[in-house]
Amino acid sequence: MMTQIIESLRQQIGHHEAALQDLRQQLAKAEHNQQQQEKVLRQKPKLSNDPLDHDMNFGVPDDFRSEIFAILDQEPSADNSTAEERRWPLEPHEYKRYGRQLIMPEIGLQGQLKLRKAKVLIVGMGGLGCPAAAYLAGAGVGILGLIDGDVVEESNLHRQILHSTARVGMTKVESAMVALSSLNPNVKLVPHTARLTPDIAIEAFRDYDLVLDCTDNPVSRYLISDTCVLLGKTLVSASALRIDGQLMVLNNPPLPAGDAQGGPCYRCIFPKPPPPESVVSCGDGGILGPVVGVMGVLQACEAIKVLTQKPNTTTSPPTEPPTLLLFSAYSNPMFRSIRLRTRKPKCAACSAQAAVTSEALNSGSLDYVQFCGSINPIDALNPQERISAANYAKLRSGVNPFTGTVSSRDSHILVDTRESVQYELCNIDGSRNVPFSAVSATRTNTSNGNYDSMGIEEPLWVQNLRQQPDKPIFVVCRLGNDSQMTVKKMKELGLDYGGKRFIGDIRGGLRAWKETVDHEFPEY
Amino acid sequence: MASTKGSAGHFTILYFAAASTFTRKTTEHLPAPLRVRDLFTKLNDTYPGIKDKVLSSCAVTVNLEYVDLDDDDASGADKEIQAGDEVAIIPPVSSG
Repeated sequence: MMTQIIESLRQQIGHHEAALQDLRQQLAKAEHNQQQQEKVLRQKPKLSNDPLDHDMNFGVPDDFRSEIFAILDQEPSADNSTAEERRWPLEPHEYKRYGRQLIMPEIGLQGQLKLRKAKVLIVGMGGLGCPAAAYLAGAGVGILGLIDGDVVEESNLHRQILHSTARVGMTKVESAMVALSSLNPNVKLVPHTARLTPDIAIEAFRDYDLVLDCTDNPVSRYLISDTCVLLGKTLVSASALRIDGQLMVLNNPPLPAGDAQGGPCYRCIFPKPPPPESVVSCGDGGILGPVVGVMGVLQACEAIKVLTQKPNTTTSPPTEPPTLLLFSAYSNPMFRSIRLRTRKPKCAACSAQAAVTSEALNSGSLDYVQFCGSINPIDALNPQERISAANYAKLRSGVNPFTGTVSSRDSHILVDTRESVQYELCNIDGSRNVPFSAVSATRTNTSNGNYDSMGIEEPLWVQNLRQQPDKPIFVVCRLGNDSQMTVKKMKELGLDYGGKRFIGDIRGGLRAWKETVDHEFPEY
Repeated sequence: MASTKGSAGHFTILYFAAASTFTRKTTEHLPAPLRVRDLFTKLNDTYPGIKDKVLSSCAVTVNLEYVDLDDDDASGADKEIQAGDEVAIIPPVSSG
């Protein structure tokens, strides 16, 4: 039922949008025709057989002539307003709409004209891209390109401010276009409803003046930076996770690779990608809405600064040194500005020895996924160490699927390794919480020295598990990765007493538990 | 969060993003002087695994200035951190 409504709403929106587009084209045509007509009308007296024409062109005393000119000039402007409009570089509605920024010396008429001429590409229409696009559309950027291959999800809405509850399921690009065109119909929006990949990057970026990196992973960050260097475009890059954000204006000025006066690129600052297992997404690590919002707004601000910058004057230094702005919402001060390096002499992208070329990019020989590394689904345990959520449920209800013996929820220990904040949101009745961070921080004999030799006590969670040596241990986490690592760690700690005690994990974690056993278990 | 006022003979180190998650601290004080190239080793002693898991891809700054650690002739690594300095460990954040 709901899906039908959504589908029909979407279709209606599509029809209306097409109709609107059509009307806009008709209006533009009509306006154009009207202007042409005015032009002809205005020229007409001069082309006529009016004797005055002859006098004007072939001999009238100079002072008389200028007077006549003045009168002729006044006439059309008194009669119709269109001719008067053309006296001003901006349309009347533009003076109104952009008035509050037009009256600032930083923007002014010239700045507004630059914005209107500007073509800006925003890669990623999520938590960064939404506020960035909103402010750039609001400011009157001429063309905004939007790239994203994702679909709006409910869990996006606390921060991705262009999307709405009614548009869950729509592509992010389409949803953003609905919001942006109602915000400012004068901005031309160019949709790219696909994920950015190396083979299309150069084509997708070519027509734009400036690029905003609003993506969410290392692969796209290196790809976007490399493409901007190759095409000589300045890049405004931002990121956010949990309560932290980063902002940089890269490749500014966007001089050719090898020119030391050009601004550094992403590779200059972060030559080595983070180890893939350390990369945390907003879905796993969390994100505070205003934190990513602040970073997106700052991107729009930097973009406006770059687009409207005035030609070098004697008063301003030729180029500001590039900076990395760090935002930490819970620190004092909240902002820190780091002075960055210049271009790296051996940078793989922007130095004279650059290995990144257009050919390499287009042909796909640059493997960004390989460069950044990827994590295979963790498969650390053998099948005997794993149990499905359904079988675990049976075990809890009384029958052990392995032995056939009757057991209860007290006959074993269920360890939940999510962090305590998540554990408090929801958990399986009778489970105990041992956060994975505590598990990771626990040393085993195989790492630097064991607890005995160092004369310090084992962590409490290990001690507690030793106190009930006869009870099997089942480990569960959100998705079934940390649980495997925890089982390994427990065995390294000798908690299985050489195999006498069963220790295993629940395959697929709490997601599987929700899907197959307890459908009401909250999903977050 | 620990006091940001350093004790004598110490420098302040700030941990951002993944570095903060790993150390479970946002800041602490370490004895000065210390060369930047020895910093990672020292941190790895205190937080086993941090070098490979976090520090290898981090930017390091001393007194809000980027320190170049990657180039072969990286003079940055020889830089000596003095008492009272503020060092920051900045992992690349890529999500958004």
